[in-house]
Amino acid sequence: MAYNYKTELGRYRKYYQSLEPLIKKTSSRAYTSVIFTFLAISLFGWYAVLPTIQTILYLKREIADNTIISKQMEDKIAALIDAQAYYQQVEPVLPDVDQALPANPDAIPFIVQLRNLASVSGVLLSSVQPSSVPLLGQNAHNTPPTNSPLVSSKQQTFDVSIAVQGPFANVSSYLNGILNMRRAVTIDGLTLTPIRTSETGTPSANLTQDMLQLALRLKTYYLVE
Amino acid sequence: MDNDQDLLLISVFTFFTITLWITFELLKTVKTTTVSRTTQQIVVPLNPKIDIDTLTVITNKKVY
Repeated sequence: MAYNYKTELGRYRKYYQSLEPLIKKTSSRAYTSVIFTFLAISLFGWYAVLPTIQTILYLKREIADNTIISKQMEDKIAALIDAQAYYQQVEPVLPDVDQALPANPDAIPFIVQLRNLASVSGVLLSSVQPSSVPLLGQNAHNTPPTNSPLVSSKQQTFDVSIAVQGPFANVSSYLNGILNMRRAVTIDGLTLTPIRTSETGTPSANLTQDMLQLALRLKTYYLVE
Repeated sequence: MDNDQDLLLISVFTFFTITLWITFELLKTVKTTTVSRTTQQIVVPLNPKIDIDTLTVITNKKVY
């Protein structure tokens, strides 16, 4: 069936003719224009103005951030150059630091040092009792961290209890030797008891030669990489 | 007339809602940093100073 615009126009005439009285009213025209103005501003604001201003602000923020980052990078590069110079300065001393805080428990070298110190100080090392010490390898790095707030999570400790006997001067020298030992060690407990002459078997010993027993509870440190 | 006023109110509220929405979106854009977390970690300041005094103390201690 061919399209006849005259009949089709007549079918829809009632719709657009009914708008005529509304358009002729001044208040309706004003309301309509205001409503469409608000809607148009909202629509263009959301779909056109917002993305544009957002892009502008994002780029401005990016420029500002990159300027700050560039400055911080320059500062860090300068700091790294300084750090390299400091490192070269202290590089010869680093083995000493490794001795003070080794990368594994090194329990046996520590006990050997205690024994050598006893020999140097002239005291008798009567007992050495290390706590459970992880040996070399993977286990050394799986030790649960200690509860001490001074010990960081990468720092681990183990305890060693020792007892030495000797005259006061020698015991004092031994104690000072422990404090001057390069290996990082702290004294957790100290007990100093006199040994009766009957026990030492030296009844003729005078007061200065009285034997003392020093019991120490030491805590030594190592670093987990 | 009432119908026109209702439509006007709806359009005004729509306008204010979208204006507020745009404002907060722009504020968010201004406040949000564009620097990635990796870059932030890289530019953490570094103190190159090494405690020489402590190293000297360690060096002066004895190994038995």
